[in-house]
Amino acid sequence: MDQQEKQLTEKESLELIATMINTAKNSYHDTGIGAIMWGALIAVCSLVKLAEMEFGFRLPFDINLIFILAVIPQIFITIKEKKERRVKSYADSYMDYIWLGFGICIILLTFIVYSMFSVWRPVSEEYRELTGHRSAFQLSEFISPFFLLLYGLPTFITGAACKFRPMFWGGLFCWLCSVTAIYTTIKIDLLLMAASAIMAWLIPGILMEREYRIYKKEQASPDV
Amino acid sequence: MFKDLNPILHSQLRLAVISLLISVKEAEFTFLKEKTNATAGNLSVQIQKLKEAGYIDVIKQFKDNYPQTICKITPQGVNAFSEYVKSLQTYLGQK
Repeated sequence: MDQQEKQLTEKESLELIATMINTAKNSYHDTGIGAIMWGALIAVCSLVKLAEMEFGFRLPFDINLIFILAVIPQIFITIKEKKERRVKSYADSYMDYIWLGFGICIILLTFIVYSMFSVWRPVSEEYRELTGHRSAFQLSEFISPFFLLLYGLPTFITGAACKFRPMFWGGLFCWLCSVTAIYTTIKIDLLLMAASAIMAWLIPGILMEREYRIYKKEQASPDV
Repeated sequence: MFKDLNPILHSQLRLAVISLLISVKEAEFTFLKEKTNATAGNLSVQIQKLKEAGYIDVIKQFKDNYPQTICKITPQGVNAFSEYVKSLQTYLGQK
């Protein structure tokens, strides 16, 4: 822009405003690393759980414990992204709270589920001893819909608010899987969990990361 | 009768800065410099004028031992920008 204070015509002023507003809108790109990490992690954990059930082996540890470990790199990713961010949009603050709230809900839901199982397991075992067969109602068959329901919420909001279609559809896909999982066996539920993680986070994350790399390349190339 | 356009905003660089800041919550000086293609000196002068008019807040702090300047538009700046756009639209609509 000129060193001198250039006087603009009214039309030029409006054009400049529109250009700058668009520039600001397109200036923030998520790296997509967090979405890729969580998408891949949930998909792999669900498939490993499914393999354990299908092929009758057990890992020496609960695969879901990886989620707790994944929080550590996520904290580093968040700090790094915040440091690199030179502009903060109004949506950013809300998004941070939405995803933080989602994380808290997942922890609470996990706690609630474990508490329910601790009550349900003795009842189920007593039923088996008395009747000689397993109860037709299996609590584990109804857990996935709750998680899928939660997965969909922040994904849908982020997709809609940031006008990022892959996440918008990913959120809807989670909700569709949530309803489907009510009527399916636990093995299918795990497949739906993996599919949801791939659709809601892994694929959008890869697309975000690609866009981010293009943006970075554009920033690095000198203006002609 | 047309309203006079706000002289503080009716200048290329200041208008560019305000237009960038209206769309975001806050932005670093380096971001504004990059997007407006202005020199650091010229941008500093124009930012100071906007600050003196009460249209933007300027926060100076340190980030990783380097000085960092963050700019954000004030409610007064939002009103002035809104009035400015309205005046432009009136002018162009009746021209």
